[in-house]
Amino acid sequence: MTSRGTPSRFLQSVLQNGVGRYVCQLKRLSIIFSKNAQSSLGVRGFIEEGVVDYAKYNPSTVVYVSPQSCRIPKIVAEYLNGNVREEIVTSKTSIQISEVLTKLTNQSGLDIIRLRKPFHTDNPSIQGQWHPFTNRPPCIGPIRPQKQDTEQGLSNI
Amino acid sequence: MVFLSLSCWIRSRGPDRYWKVQEIVKNAKHFRGRKNRCYKLAVKAVRRAFVYATKGRRLKKRYMRTLWISRIAAASREHGMKYPVLMHNLTKSSVQLNRRVISDLAITEPRSFLSLAKVARARQQEGFRAALGDGKEPVGVFSRVVLLQ
Repeated sequence: MTSRGTPSRFLQSVLQNGVGRYVCQLKRLSIIFSKNAQSSLGVRGFIEEGVVDYAKYNPSTVVYVSPQSCRIPKIVAEYLNGNVREEIVTSKTSIQISEVLTKLTNQSGLDIIRLRKPFHTDNPSIQGQWHPFTNRPPCIGPIRPQKQDTEQGLSNI
Repeated sequence: MVFLSLSCWIRSRGPDRYWKVQEIVKNAKHFRGRKNRCYKLAVKAVRRAFVYATKGRRLKKRYMRTLWISRIAAASREHGMKYPVLMHNLTKSSVQLNRRVISDLAITEPRSFLSLAKVARARQQEGFRAALGDGKEPVGVFSRVVLLQ
């Protein structure tokens, strides 16, 4: 887990999302579970109670419910920038699954890797960034070659 | 003839060797030479890399602080002050900015840094007058600031 061996990114928002209107970045949710296994008990309970309310509350997200014969129930979240995130929800209660769903809704789709800095600005400098001439006093008059006496001396010789 | 014991001689010697090797070699993919491919060499190299990463996390804090201090020193020398004088007078005037923020101000906000240097200079002059003059009343505004803890 070196900093060069693992990928890292800078903090950013997706197209300045919250500044004007807020667009929920979660595009599609697929809940994969099994009808009869023990591990999907919480998922089945959540689908009985909470899925419809969740889908009404988030009209911009499409929720797919797909019962399959699988050993591990999963929630697959797809985001607007194309990233796909899978959460495994074996043996979770329906309250925990709703917490997982709120977490997935609030995420933007950017990769969850090391952030290089916990801040980001587009305009870091307001007073003008420092350059070597900021604190130098401006010179008075035009810049000319100085010594005219020695030139006259050379021309005499 | 029936060969019954032949199938008993076939053994599966651990089905996960590929993944165990990949777990280590994937951390060595950006190395030079055979250490990014061969497991025996990669194990040693990856262990060293992790040790250096652990040590480096503690050293990074020291390096960043020395960088900030040298930047603040250079900026304050442009305004005719030295680093220890600046920091001491800023703490006496209860300006609790840390070195990271002051170095960022010196780079992106040069006029704010100039005003900080002027505050420190004024506090320094008040300190000199208080020491030399020995007057009973406090000299100026900056030395009357209550030091917050």
